[in-house]
Amino acid sequence: MRRGFNPSLLPPHPSQGNPMSIEIKNINKRFGDFTALDNLNLDIASGELLALLGPSGCGKTTLLRIIAGLETPDQGQILFHGEDATDTHVRERQVGFVFQHYALFRHMTVFENVAFGLRVRPKKTRPTEAVIKKKVHDLLGLVQLDWLADRYPAQLSGGQRQRIALARALAVEPRVLLLDEPFGALDTKVRKELRRWLRRLHDEMHITSVFVTHDQEEALEVADRVVVMNKGKIEQIGTPEQVYDTPETPFVYQFLGDVNLFHSRVHEGWAEIGGARIEAPNSPNETTATVYVRPHEIDLSRDASDSAIAGVITHIRLLGATVRLEVEVAGHEAVEVELTRERYQDGAWRVGDPVWLNPREARVYTAG
Amino acid sequence: MAGASNNVHRSIVTTESRSVRWLLTGLALLFIALFLVVPLASVFYEALRKGFGLYFQALVEPDALSAVKLTLIAALISVPLNLVFGVAAAWAIAKFEFRGKSVLITLIDLPFSVSPVVAGLIYVLMVGAQGWWGPWLIEHDIKIIFAIPGIVLATVFVTFPFVARELIPLMEAQGSEEEQAAMTLGASGWQTFWRVTLPNIKWGLLYGVILANARAMGEFGAVSVVSGHIRGETNTIPLHVEILYNEYNFVGAFACASLLALLALVTLALKSFVEWRAEKQAEAARRDATE
Ligand SMILES: Nc1ncnc2c1ncn2[C@@H]1O[C@H](COP(=O)(O)OP(=O)(O)OP(=O)(O)O)[C@@H](O)[C@H]1O
Ligand SMILES: [Mg+2]
Repeated sequence: MRRGFNPSLLPPHPSQGNPMSIEIKNINKRFGDFTALDNLNLDIASGELLALLGPSGCGKTTLLRIIAGLETPDQGQILFHGEDATDTHVRERQVGFVFQHYALFRHMTVFENVAFGLRVRPKKTRPTEAVIKKKVHDLLGLVQLDWLADRYPAQLSGGQRQRIALARALAVEPRVLLLDEPFGALDTKVRKELRRWLRRLHDEMHITSVFVTHDQEEALEVADRVVVMNKGKIEQIGTPEQVYDTPETPFVYQFLGDVNLFHSRVHEGWAEIGGARIEAPNSPNETTATVYVRPHEIDLSRDASDSAIAGVITHIRLLGATVRLEVEVAGHEAVEVELTRERYQDGAWRVGDPVWLNPREARVYTAG
Repeated sequence: MAGASNNVHRSIVTTESRSVRWLLTGLALLFIALFLVVPLASVFYEALRKGFGLYFQALVEPDALSAVKLTLIAALISVPLNLVFGVAAAWAIAKFEFRGKSVLITLIDLPFSVSPVVAGLIYVLMVGAQGWWGPWLIEHDIKIIFAIPGIVLATVFVTFPFVARELIPLMEAQGSEEEQAAMTLGASGWQTFWRVTLPNIKWGLLYGVILANARAMGEFGAVSVVSGHIRGETNTIPLHVEILYNEYNFVGAFACASLLALLALVTLALKSFVEWRAEKQAEAARRDATE
């Protein structure tokens, strides 16, 4: 068993109480003809834990590397604490970067890996050997891996490497911590444990942190704010509740959790899907529209109704605490409905039962 | 006994019959004996045939000593030059994207694909008395062809690819993330090179250096063209061996040849050891890359 998190092991941190804000202004980045980042703007508040969430290839890593100074933008500006840092070299930016594949120095022990950032300092500011030793052991204690100090990276598990990479980044007392898919290569259980640990660590240190993920659950659970990206652009920025409950674009709606899609037309403020009428007050009249309904926001009924969507249950899947039903609806793709175990048992649903679907919540996006 | 019968079973299924295996192995061994071991042994046999006294005399004779000295000079200059060039070229090729990269890779291979004699002739054409820059060089009293600088130049040329060739695949497999990590931790370019890049490639580098050195000391063709074969002045060991041999001084020729043979054996031993270490390093790089 891994020991619990122990905040008292934390080294004093100079950036504590003085964390840094980051402003990203009109950043463009192209690779050949491909636009990786498209006129991107983002303000990161000091001390917050921000998640960059988006599908593979949407430019998350590129943005993170630009913040770090490992990549130069074609256009745009990066401000650290109000000061232009666009032309500041990586070395001087004082960012801690945790690479997706850790990038530990393979020929150095764990101790030397963590000590590296202290040892390469100019003579004037380089700590003494005793101070380095104490600091490295404090950091190794912080990531609960003090007993691995003499091992080489090749002799560590993925989760251990991850934490060593974090300790190494923290050793230089960075003003910003940047993490690229920090838990990407780990199995589900370790990943859940580590991300909670990261959250607690952040709460202690208050160091401005940005982490990249394509796992929506991870972003929603850990971050103060979530930035949803798609194709080099930001789709929405908000707290986890905001992006999940009030997605601003169809992309965000689809990306955060499962969703059913219905094609429809708006007629005098209402979109109709197979009998069910959805309110669409702000949509222009007589436009094609797409209606999004989440599987758990649909009620099932055995009573025939003109104002509901008629269908037949074709599949039932039991998934732990919830149950997923697949309902065939004439003229539509199969609709997914999610029920709690109790509601499923109360309804005594069987494959082949005719049902009427009633969306409790829905969102209408008109084309254009 | 179940295990034994399993083995027999497997060997019948997956390998040739016993007689074929013996035949092939025997042929290979015979080949090695005939073409490698016997000649190598005969070098030492011929060199020592008239006794140790004459053997050592042949080695300490002034012309022989001068040949040894020149060989060492050529190696001492060309190997470090190629080391620096090889590391720089491999570093540029493996860690950066730039236009003309594939041309550079092809150019590095040129000395491998061109006959050493041609390599020598190129230098004669450029800096020989009748060459492009010949008149200018004569005017300024600079002698390259038929002198030591020519020998060094030719040696540099033929040993050009060894270090770079060895390092490019290794550095490409290792990628540049560790260097980037070092930079984010505040290391300067110089510190990054000495503390991160170099330790990661040291065995591959040593391997390339050993091969380059063996070639530098043993090179005949290119050096022969630019040397002029002036005894005691522009002869390297291989050239000296040829002269002695043509004069029917077999003890002398084989005594000097035995030096080269010895070099080959030492190189082989070093190479095996370093190869083993380099393979471990490359394996670690591949393992890290696939994780
Ligand atoms: N050095 C490069 N040269 C060319 N194209 C690049 C380069 N780096 C990134 N790209 C392209 O830019 C796009 C964005 O890449 P990026 O690595 O930022 O994606 P990502 O959001 O981090 O994806 P993932 O979740 O798969 O890591 C991709 O389509 C990628 O192919
Ligand atoms: Mg990425």
